[in-house]
Amino acid sequence: MATTTATINLTSPDITGDPLNLSKTATLTKAGSNTGLDQFTGITTVVYAAAQTATNIVAAAAYADTTTAHKVYIKNSSTGTSDFVTVELGGSNVFMGRLYPGDWCFFPYDGTLDVDIDTSAVGMKVEYAVFSQSAAS
Amino acid sequence: MATTTATLILTSPDITGHSFNMTQSATLTKAGSSTGLDEFTGVTSRKYTSAQTDTVVVADSIYVDTTVAHKVYIRNTSTGASDYILVELEGNVIIGRLYPGDWMFIPYGGTLDVQVTTVATNVSIEYGVFSQSVVS
Repeated sequence: MATTTATINLTSPDITGDPLNLSKTATLTKAGSNTGLDQFTGITTVVYAAAQTATNIVAAAAYADTTTAHKVYIKNSSTGTSDFVTVELGGSNVFMGRLYPGDWCFFPYDGTLDVDIDTSAVGMKVEYAVFSQSAAS
Repeated sequence: MATTTATLILTSPDITGHSFNMTQSATLTKAGSSTGLDEFTGVTSRKYTSAQTDTVVVADSIYVDTTVAHKVYIRNTSTGASDYILVELEGNVIIGRLYPGDWMFIPYGGTLDVQVTTVATNVSIEYGVFSQSVVS
């Protein structure tokens, strides 16, 4: 099985009175297992000619659900400072948060709700991907 | 204002037919601005002696909302392979399960609590919020 690692480094010299240096690495495994995630969409890059509303980028129907350890990556690859991507969950488009240019997110995904995005302007560039587990053990 | 950087490194020698290596760095700024996020909770570490149901780890009432660029970090610091943390937005909107060692980093709009549910005893977690004040 594949071996995939995800590392986050959070650094700041001045957001607290002491420097922040946090580095954590996760090996991406199937739910409740030491077996690595075995599926990957690749990194999808899309430039949207028009502003988007509730555009589906991760379809729950494509994935095993509930007892899963899928991971979703999304980045607002636009430039400037103002053109944001809104990340939403499910058919009711529950608001998670906004990714401003350069912002990325990485989160667990259990395959029960779609992941949708809105974009605030024309010509915005977004990249996204899913690391997932197949039904095979 | 503070300068905070979040870097993501994804690597795999074998999840595709060729090696995969990706690094992305973001400087955490206020919404629509080049000014850095100016608030941080610190990293909170907890060990839950009993299983938790919809325990609030990020309360929306504390933060300004909507036009914001807050970020939430959560990690399951437990050991083993099975003791997961179910992460939800208020209203039982499931984000996903963090298995031991897994972490997440998401944008946070400040409109819903972030909650966790655990199914085992002695599950350990750490979490933090980088946020923007109302001061420009």
